Amino acid sequence: MPDWKPEILRRLAPLRLAPMREAEIAEEVAQHLEDRYRELLSAGETDDSAYRISLCELEGEDFLARGLRPVERELYREPLPPGKRSRNVFENILRDFHYALRTLGKSPGFTMVAVFTLALGIGVNSAVFSIFNWAALHMPAVLKPNQLATLAAQDIGGGWDNGFSYPDLVAIRNQSAAAFSDVAGAIIFTQDGLSADGNSTPVWTNYVTGNFFQTMGVKPALGNLIEPVEGKTVDDEPVLVLGYAFWKSRFGGATNVIGKSVLINGQPVTIIGVAPKGFHGVTSLIETQGYLPLGLAAVTCDAAKGFLADRKASLLTIVTRLKPDVSLASSQPMLHAIGLNLAAHDSTTDTWRTLRALAYGPMSPASNPQDDTVVGIVGALFLTLAGLVLILACLNVATVLLARASERQHEMAVRAAVGGARHRLIHQLLTESFVLSLGGCAGGIALGLATSRYLGSINVHMAVPLVLDFQFDWRVLAYAFGAAVLTTALVGIAPALRATRGGLNHLLRESVRTETPRTLRSRSALVVAQVAGSLMLLIVAGLFMRSLRNVEHANLGFDPHNVLNFDVDPHQAGYSKAQSWEFLQKVVERVRALPGVDKASFAETVPMGGVHHGTNLKIAGYSRPRGQGPYAGYNSVSSQYFETMRVRILRGRGFLDSDSQTTQRVAVINEAMAQEYWPNENPVGRRFSMASDPKDPVKIIGEVENSRVQHLTGAIEPFMYLSLAQSYHYREPVTLQLRTSLPLAAMNHEVAAAVHSLAPTMPIFDVQTMTTALDTTNGLLFFQMGAELAGCLGLLGLVLATVGSYGVVSYSASQRTREIGIRMALGAKEGDVLRLMLRQASLVVGAGIAVGILGAAAVAHLASHFLSGVSALDPITYLVASVLLAGIALLACYVPARRATRVDPMVALRYE
Amino acid sequence: METTVSEVEWKKGSAELLILSLVEARPRHGYEISKLIEQRSGGAVRFHVASLYPLLYRLERRGWIQGKWVEESGQRRRRYYRLTAAGRKVLASQRSRWQEFVAAINRIMEVEGA
Repeated sequence: MPDWKPEILRRLAPLRLAPMREAEIAEEVAQHLEDRYRELLSAGETDDSAYRISLCELEGEDFLARGLRPVERELYREPLPPGKRSRNVFENILRDFHYALRTLGKSPGFTMVAVFTLALGIGVNSAVFSIFNWAALHMPAVLKPNQLATLAAQDIGGGWDNGFSYPDLVAIRNQSAAAFSDVAGAIIFTQDGLSADGNSTPVWTNYVTGNFFQTMGVKPALGNLIEPVEGKTVDDEPVLVLGYAFWKSRFGGATNVIGKSVLINGQPVTIIGVAPKGFHGVTSLIETQGYLPLGLAAVTCDAAKGFLADRKASLLTIVTRLKPDVSLASSQPMLHAIGLNLAAHDSTTDTWRTLRALAYGPMSPASNPQDDTVVGIVGALFLTLAGLVLILACLNVATVLLARASERQHEMAVRAAVGGARHRLIHQLLTESFVLSLGGCAGGIALGLATSRYLGSINVHMAVPLVLDFQFDWRVLAYAFGAAVLTTALVGIAPALRATRGGLNHLLRESVRTETPRTLRSRSALVVAQVAGSLMLLIVAGLFMRSLRNVEHANLGFDPHNVLNFDVDPHQAGYSKAQSWEFLQKVVERVRALPGVDKASFAETVPMGGVHHGTNLKIAGYSRPRGQGPYAGYNSVSSQYFETMRVRILRGRGFLDSDSQTTQRVAVINEAMAQEYWPNENPVGRRFSMASDPKDPVKIIGEVENSRVQHLTGAIEPFMYLSLAQSYHYREPVTLQLRTSLPLAAMNHEVAAAVHSLAPTMPIFDVQTMTTALDTTNGLLFFQMGAELAGCLGLLGLVLATVGSYGVVSYSASQRTREIGIRMALGAKEGDVLRLMLRQASLVVGAGIAVGILGAAAVAHLASHFLSGVSALDPITYLVASVLLAGIALLACYVPARRATRVDPMVALRYE
Repeated sequence: METTVSEVEWKKGSAELLILSLVEARPRHGYEISKLIEQRSGGAVRFHVASLYPLLYRLERRGWIQGKWVEESGQRRRRYYRLTAAGRKVLASQRSRWQEFVAAINRIMEVEGA
């Protein structure tokens, strides 16, 4: 039987078809000729003539090729030999993507683990970045925020303050027209009682100048905003603009609230509009629930009476809008001059050294130019830690890719031999890594979104409504994508270089299964990097945890356990001052009579509650050592307060029910205040006066132990307690605190019942235990969040490093099977081989730990600002973390090393 | 089909029609198709390998027919072509156009002959 194929193949040759296709056509056509030939034979032709006639079917030499050319060229693309040069870049990219998806699809297990690992790394980063973005980058929803600035003043003592009086504001506005198009002011962080439809709720309000909304450049979501009124310096129209979120939550977003009359601290006001969504007032971190005209503050707030003419009433935050061609820096000389000018014209005020405009941002209003650096340091610290986790995740994936790369060297060499350019092969391998990273990026964004949603939902136990809105805006997405690109580079480059290294000859001569010093070195480097990175994370986590422990066990100076807090505000229920006070007296009597209540008292503020009062003092005979006037923070408390909170009285006495408005004004001071203003003497019996009321001297009746009221760390500042009976503000809520031996939850209803038996509609809010009340941003919250975040990152790092080291060593051991086999065939014992491998592992792990300790010291330096009672170089933390990590890493190395020694030498040698 | 057909186009067009109609009833392999064309035309129309297979591949590329290797016991495998759904539509429209065309030609020739 003639062989037709050579004839056919010869004719197909000019077409340069893909081999598979060529063979297919040849087979089909040969079958045809075969059929023809058999038929001719059976019709009686001779072999020779049947052959000739059949061959005629092919017609001339080039007839077949000519017929096929237009069809085949279009029909059959070469089946993607990756690495082959092609006509355009875009086609290359598509091809590489297609090929990468196919290759990865073939090992779904690897792909899933790699994508998940990268998703963890990218997720952690995008979550941390979303918080940083919220705190430092995202711009409040106002018109051209980069034209806005807040003002701060530095006094002669060097301290910064961002509170200004109304006369200051007017003076600044009059003198700054050259640089500022608008100067607005607001009293921020005021808490008022809002009564509507028979219910009263506490609301956080801003009292704003008429041009406030115009300066911020916002438009109402509904109705109107407060606007400047011609010919009126300060507007005192009884109107209210609601914050958007508050309008939604309190009034259900009803449009008919416009024109509605409500009471603010008992004064009727009319709702005229709703501020736009996403606008939170001067500060974008705290939800402002209502905006009132500045002039109204004199009516609704006791403390603000007469403040419009008082240069000492530094109640206002000032926001300015720069003219389009003016920058912060170029406005500085003018502000400096204004500052000096104001100081020169008024001798009663603190002497200002300078005025400064501070860039407007999410953390505004900053009180000094350094505020931003703190956010920057926290950001840098946690972004570094999160970055480390990502690097560890990348190293893990890179390890596996490197192993795959060694296995694919043959494939790559063959491709290179058939004409694949090396850069194209590398490009194609990088595309694989990029596809992995993109998968990780998508997963990471989902993970990060879930994490930051969770973080945003944490109850911060603060009366102040924080806006914890960790949005995934374009910056976060760009960051995540950037992380993915970085990941591609970290994960892909080394394996791509490795896979495409060396030609076919090199490969065929060299056995791939033998470790070269070079691959050994690169694997060791991987382990060193993983151990080092993980150790850095562990050490920082350890430092944060020790710091949290210190803070939690710090001597607060009071005993927060078994204390319950209830906030009541009779003023919001429409009581007059006298009625309120009487009511409070009755409440505390009833509560003290309840079974299980040991002590009960009232206080204006609670420790770490976010609300603090302070005042300048006048103390006869006291000279200013630091150029600053005497100053003390204060709290107004009732009788039994020190017993309820268990604050130790060192000298004198606490408050009694007999201290009243008609008796001598009295105060109890803390040790710090005694030492600062009456060093080495008994302060009891001394007198001083407060700047707000210089004619009414206050007599010190007692000295108590220092306690923490505003911060859990740092030095304890001078602090005093005033008698609530003598300084009852009435328009602010007070906190009823009681010490009980019964379960706290049980007391809840008892107290509510006692209050409601006196006044059935009296609102009770912010009921919480004193220990919970400590978990605020001033209290434990940041320490807890820091420790939790660092702890999570540390744990992730540890897991990744363990898995990674295990992977590297076990792969390395499997590659050394032959070497181990030879050693054992030559008489080495299992123990010898194990010792050899462990000695090598210890060296590598040891190097990793050394590098890690150095790195940790550098990162911990950033953290040192936020640690309490523990040094950034705390030897115990460093030692424990190093030993823990070394143990785990060596165990991760031991398991595969042990397995390698179990190999039968004969099997190992035959393996090649 | 264009009305001003050159001979090549005409032949190619009609060849497509022939092949599509031959695989309409059941799948056939290339040799069978060429035999049927030769037999049914009484030897007047013949396709050589060099023109038949490019044509088959072209129709396959257009998605009108689909080839499939079929192994029969004791024989070498052969590639059978069947008409696809798309091919069936094309065949129906080409067939009616062809009939119109032939009828038109006939009418012209009848007038000339009369």
